[in-house]
Amino acid sequence: MQALLSFDQSPPFAAPLRFFLTAPLFAILASLLLLWSGPELFASRWTPAALALTHLITVGFLLQVMLGAMLQILPVVAGANVPWPLAIARLVHLAVGLGALLLAAAFLGNQPLAFRLAAALIGSGVAVFVLAAGHSLLGVSSADSTIRGLKAALIGLSVTVTLGMLLATALDGSFELPLMQVTSIHLGWGLGGWSAVLLAAVAFIVVPMFQMTPAYPEWFARRFAWTMLALLSLWSAADIADWQEPAALLASAAVLMVAAFAGLTLQLQRRSKRARVDATQRYWSMAMLCTLAACAVWLAASAFPAIAERHEWPLLCGVLALNGGLMSATSGMLYKIVPFLVWSHLQNLGRGRVLAPNMNKVIAGKAIDRQMYAHFVALALLLAATLWPGWFVYPAGLALLASNACLLRNVLRAVWFYRGQRLKIEALTPRPATSS
Amino acid sequence: MHGIRDFMANDHRACDRLLATVEQSVVKGAWELAEADFGRFRDALLSHFGAEESVLFPLFEECTGMRLGPTQVMRDEHAQMRQLLTAAEAALAENDADEYDGNSETLLIMIQQHNIKEENVLYPMCDQRLAAQLETLLPRLQELIVDHERAPR
Repeated sequence: MQALLSFDQSPPFAAPLRFFLTAPLFAILASLLLLWSGPELFASRWTPAALALTHLITVGFLLQVMLGAMLQILPVVAGANVPWPLAIARLVHLAVGLGALLLAAAFLGNQPLAFRLAAALIGSGVAVFVLAAGHSLLGVSSADSTIRGLKAALIGLSVTVTLGMLLATALDGSFELPLMQVTSIHLGWGLGGWSAVLLAAVAFIVVPMFQMTPAYPEWFARRFAWTMLALLSLWSAADIADWQEPAALLASAAVLMVAAFAGLTLQLQRRSKRARVDATQRYWSMAMLCTLAACAVWLAASAFPAIAERHEWPLLCGVLALNGGLMSATSGMLYKIVPFLVWSHLQNLGRGRVLAPNMNKVIAGKAIDRQMYAHFVALALLLAATLWPGWFVYPAGLALLASNACLLRNVLRAVWFYRGQRLKIEALTPRPATSS
Repeated sequence: MHGIRDFMANDHRACDRLLATVEQSVVKGAWELAEADFGRFRDALLSHFGAEESVLFPLFEECTGMRLGPTQVMRDEHAQMRQLLTAAEAALAENDADEYDGNSETLLIMIQQHNIKEENVLYPMCDQRLAAQLETLLPRLQELIVDHERAPR
């Protein structure tokens, strides 16, 4: 009831926007790191540079976009308003952003103090977010698959970050921790329990409604989130207890669930009633194809020792999942969320007397397409760089830099457009507009 | 019981399908057909709004005492969608594909985020709070929301 009464209160534009604006900066930093460290970065997934790069992408880019989007999605999907959205957004954004920078620096310099500070910052930022979002979801029914998925994703995020904090503080040897095992569980929860569960929760609504496809099968959508969390919990327990066979089976089951989600989404997209395929749809298709490929590589490595022995496979799997799967999906979503928010906030400022220009005018379609192709080129080069780093690392770094500079420019274009239009509206309406 | 939610959500999907047919005609450059398709979509959407504004929302407001709550937000969003409908229709009349795309895309997102709020929050509340009136309410809604998909093109 409380939720119902307040579902008109969309957070101020500045709340989600700050996350969307700084996310590309972290991907730009990641590309500079790639160019600076060169082919050595891909010597193994454990090189300091590879770990720093992974966290610039996961915490700096992906987590930021996902948190910003979640702030915006919660009131619409669940009628759940995060309390004091702007203050919470500022705090979380600052803590997670600084934390991501420090974490990358900590990996590169092997600095125990930086690890601890990064853990404290990211941990407190995420804790504030999870508490605020969790509070807003209190009393909201979980009958809907998306709402259930959002709740489960918050649990997945909490587990991921708690394990990450544990790892960051244990790296200096101050207490005993099976580092490799905990790292693999941290990674499993980050990819499966947070990212895949959140992506699926959003897909259950976005794909059928915006891409006009049939709905996901009810039996699949209803069970996906909690089945993933259950499988990951059992797998983590089996892995810690060193029950190798059950652990391998449970991990394979979780990977197959994600592959089923990706395959199902691609199949639904083929039945879309939309006559025009836009960048967001292409981004989603690419995300799902890469997710399927990442699952296939993982399953192949777990089935064939000859593949598992090669150091390239985790890098290949990582680029497919992070750059190909998650960065593609989040970039595609940004191109719907940001222009729609610009339109919606302008429309509210104009109070029906001044009509806001439609959302396709906010960022030019050609600029979006160019950025998307740059991202696909960067993805292809990064995949090649995992196999032949000597040849492809520098072109991949340059392409990653270019695609994220374009992404930043596109988000900035939207902000400039908003500011220009707001000034026009303020000049035309007697009362000064206050929303930002 | 999900009588109201199921019926109204089904009508949301029917409106979506009608909007998709307009896009297909626009992409083919079949402007006359697109205008006829758009007319059917507009009528379906407006009759959906009408049924909500004249029957469902007043009854909800009466039963819950919430007059400036969620139904007011829904009415405001209806007003915004009516403006987008007019803009999209004007673009069609001028055979301006880019302008039509921009307005219809904005309208689509506006419609869908509005539908999500109704289907996840408002309709379940209606099913809960108006359960006693369902037998008379549902036929009234069915009467006002005709099947525009079956109307001749």
